[in-house]
Amino acid sequence: MADTRTAARDPHAGIVMEAEPETGAKQGRRIDRETVLMLTVPPALVLIAFAAFVVWRQSAEFNETELRQLAWTEIRSLLWQHVKLTVTSSVLVVLIAVPLGIALTRSGLRKFSPFVVGFANIGQGAPSIGLIVLLAIWLGYGFWTSVLALTLYGLLPVLRNTIVGLDGVDPTLVEAGRGLGMSAGLVLLRVELPLALSVIMAGVRTSLVLVVGTATLATFINGGGLGAIIQTGISLFLPKLIVAGALLVALLALFVEWLGRVLEFLARPKGV
Amino acid sequence: MWDFIVERREALLYNTFQHANLVVQAVLVATVIAVLLAVLITRVPRLEGPANAISAIGLTIPSFALVSLLLTFFSFGSLPAFIAVAFYAVLPVLRNAVVGLQGVDATLLESARGMGMSEVTTLVRVRLPLAWPVILAGVRVSMQMSMGVAAIAAYVGGPGLGTYILKGLTQIGGANAINYALVGTIGVVVVALLADLVLLLVGRATISKGIRV
Repeated sequence: MADTRTAARDPHAGIVMEAEPETGAKQGRRIDRETVLMLTVPPALVLIAFAAFVVWRQSAEFNETELRQLAWTEIRSLLWQHVKLTVTSSVLVVLIAVPLGIALTRSGLRKFSPFVVGFANIGQGAPSIGLIVLLAIWLGYGFWTSVLALTLYGLLPVLRNTIVGLDGVDPTLVEAGRGLGMSAGLVLLRVELPLALSVIMAGVRTSLVLVVGTATLATFINGGGLGAIIQTGISLFLPKLIVAGALLVALLALFVEWLGRVLEFLARPKGV
Repeated sequence: MWDFIVERREALLYNTFQHANLVVQAVLVATVIAVLLAVLITRVPRLEGPANAISAIGLTIPSFALVSLLLTFFSFGSLPAFIAVAFYAVLPVLRNAVVGLQGVDATLLESARGMGMSEVTTLVRVRLPLAWPVILAGVRVSMQMSMGVAAIAAYVGGPGLGTYILKGLTQIGGANAINYALVGTIGVVVVALLADLVLLLVGRATISKGIRV
């Protein structure tokens, strides 16, 4: 299952990468060192960079527009909008993709799963900005249109990993569960989902990163978020605003990625 | 919709070509850079952890943020677009190239040495051909991702189909807004599918016969 997890780690991946030939022992060591690095470096980086931003924000000279856009209350409200967009969309993604993935691995619906995943793969090829603009034309500007676009965009990684994770569960374990007298639902809940959880969580993290990054574009359709700072910076050509906006967005994305990693780490079942 | 396309077929074809051109060039440059870096990383194993961390962090940076940040260093136009697309394109290839090169069986390397091959010859004749399928899988991921990055790069003056999407955005409410946005979006999907097909064929043609599945 290592290869699927590596594929899922790539946040923009639209295609499942092919199996990676590597011996098990080596793979384990590599991921461990990387896990440690990825759990410690990004939060430190975020803290240091944010501290640098605060110092720069307090000491550099700004013109009136820049001051208005970079007022702490304004930054806080944009950040809050960005977080709201990300959290709402991600919750919707999980609520839709996980049950759908479960349904597509049950015997009755399994035959549809290649089609659904194939369709989702092609859909993922559509540029996020195009999806956002099209939905805005269809449904109008605003927060909920942005949420819909972000949700659609974030579905695939979770859906794919749910299917891959559940398919990867050893069938003999499912059999054993049934042999113990568990119902199919109970086996799903007690055996299959716990074993697939880490793969599913890898998908959730991928999707979180996609969503938090794409939420930057929500400002184009009045959906709010930190992208507004960048957009103002570009349209009035104020480099300080562009740098500040890009930095804040990148820091938020890094922080969210780190949160996803922590969640993924915690979700690892103890027995595996 | 159809009239819209027919009326603008020349501009449309031109922009489609520009989009594909930007992405293909950036991915090519990125592949060369990534493979060179991967060769370096497999020689100095200590670099691997940091390299993976950097590539994971790099992929986290929202493309709109990077594209606009590059705008402050370069003027509006293709250059910031190209750099942004190439930057993201390096990361998946790098990751796969490292895995692919490390995956080459040590006994094969030893036999190559035993046959009197120098290290460079071993790299070119043995390691790269054996790692190529995995590298190519990374290139496919890169290509698909780059299509979307290139669309966003239109905001800083990048060429290609993204310009249609942005036209659709600025003309919202106008009669042609939906046409522009649809043509841009579907165009990118089509170009992405075609590019993926081409890469599949490239794989057919270039993957060494001995390891072809």
